[in-house]
Amino acid sequence: MPPPRVTRRVGSHTLSLSNLDKILWPDDGYTKGDLIDYYERVAPLALPHLKGRPLTLQRYPNGIAGETFFEKQIPRGVPDWVERVTVPTPGGSRAETTFVLCNDAATLILLANLATIVLHVWTSRVPALEEPEFVIFDLDPGEECTLRTLAAVAIAIRGLLGEIGLSALVKTTGGYGVHVVLPLQPGYSYDTVKVFAEIVARQAAQRLGDSATLQRTIAKRPRNAVYLDYVQVGLGKTIVAPYSVRARTGAPVSTPLHWSEVEAFGRRRTAGAPADEFAKYTIRTVPKRLEREGDLWGAKNWKKQRLEAATGKARRLWSQPG
Amino acid sequence: MAHAIWSGSINFGLVTIPVKLFTAVKTDDLSFNMLHAKDEGRIKYERVCSVDGKPVPWDEIVKGYEYEKGEYVVLTDEDFAAVNPEATQSVDIVEFVELDKISPMFFDKPYYLEPTKQGRHAYALLREALSTTNRVAIARVVIRTKEYIAAVKPIDGALVLELMHWASEIVSSNTLEIPGSEKLPEKEMQMARMLIDTMSVEEFEPEKFSNNYHDQLLTMIEARAAGKELPKVKKAPARAKVVNLMDVLAQSLEESKKRRGAGAEKPATRRRKTTAA
Repeated sequence: MPPPRVTRRVGSHTLSLSNLDKILWPDDGYTKGDLIDYYERVAPLALPHLKGRPLTLQRYPNGIAGETFFEKQIPRGVPDWVERVTVPTPGGSRAETTFVLCNDAATLILLANLATIVLHVWTSRVPALEEPEFVIFDLDPGEECTLRTLAAVAIAIRGLLGEIGLSALVKTTGGYGVHVVLPLQPGYSYDTVKVFAEIVARQAAQRLGDSATLQRTIAKRPRNAVYLDYVQVGLGKTIVAPYSVRARTGAPVSTPLHWSEVEAFGRRRTAGAPADEFAKYTIRTVPKRLEREGDLWGAKNWKKQRLEAATGKARRLWSQPG
Repeated sequence: MAHAIWSGSINFGLVTIPVKLFTAVKTDDLSFNMLHAKDEGRIKYERVCSVDGKPVPWDEIVKGYEYEKGEYVVLTDEDFAAVNPEATQSVDIVEFVELDKISPMFFDKPYYLEPTKQGRHAYALLREALSTTNRVAIARVVIRTKEYIAAVKPIDGALVLELMHWASEIVSSNTLEIPGSEKLPEKEMQMARMLIDTMSVEEFEPEKFSNNYHDQLLTMIEARAAGKELPKVKKAPARAKVVNLMDVLAQSLEESKKRRGAGAEKPATRRRKTTAA
């Protein structure tokens, strides 16, 4: 019996979708059709964060329990109308790689039809691929780290940035941790941003003591601390895009949060694990949340900032011998 | 070449050819270790008894054959030894047959045979005789403690021992619903033949086909490995002080300002005076 195919018209493109009944989340019974529906619903808010950013696809053709592969090179058979960019990739076994640019809803749905669950994007956009659009701090809680501690560390970083006149946004990664980002005006290089991120991370680690660590070796990190990863900055490095689904039970989604929500986590009396809380933001719940909240990382909140004045302040406030 | 995986002899009639066996195909599969996603710890397997839930040491483990649901016949090492074929270390040729009389379905895994010094003459003789008569030898072989049926064929100057499936292992296509060849219009057949003609090549060149999945996985692994190394290389050896980083940042900002100023991009407009410490 041939697998059922369905054609769907999206914008000016007609897509042929296959195996919509295929179960991708065996514990939840969510199918590929559910994944496609989710991405279709959130496309208007998700696309501004995907447009023009080289995309690495993480595909799960046999569901989240099956094997997965990361695709940087645009998959074969993707139609010509899908936009793409070719960049040199020295060090890899390909001299150059052609990345998908998810610039419209049709492309997003097409990718979902390829069982692409997770969308990993660059932090820069064509044509300025060498200029990151934001600084990112990836807060990765240890095994025994509580939601309260994670929230406290995120708030502390926001506070540090506030001291030097900058404001940050926050989202769940969809997994265990949160991403804190600082939108930038154009024109900064990856080198600049890397050093800036390191200064902030070091200052944070120094103030937070036991609850944060910069230790890259996992085994050496205290299990109840938050790992402050500031090295996810660089040409070709990726982050999980806002509203990307994750390949975990429950189909959680990387979801932008209000700082007031993070503050509420910090006041929790029970010492729950972050993942338990973040598991509430899923392909079932997030579309409704978005109808209510809109895109918390949208143009209204996405304030592009300059680093020059902030650097001067940081030098005055934070520089001390030691 | 790598070391032999087996050495013994080819026997037929009164002739004995001492030989060694070498691997002829290797798989390109990448092997992965299972890790705990959180901390990249290696996953260990534990043999746990389903009755008492406790780990079981190797010396308390026996093999059982489930002959009926939940009913086992337990076999010990002695039992296996009793029925093991004798480890004769030999390729005993039983008969010769033309190669195209054997369905390709039967061939499983090829190995190279190399003669030892004393066997060189007889090896060459067998090879030439097989080539000129267009036949292959069918043999019974014991490798380790398992018995196989195998074919010995001359390929590119070497004798190749190709392990074969037992007849009982081949699944029949009888149960499939496959159309017969009746009532196929000549016109369509002509078109199909034409299509085949236009897509035909003189020689099969396996080099043309590459294992994309494997290559892409490798690309990804290399990139990841490279990405992980980078920060370490760039890192200053000692614990860098915040003060030094500040200088680096200030310089870096200065440079990008110059770059922006030089380019056609519109210059920074909202730059406030910074008060340097």
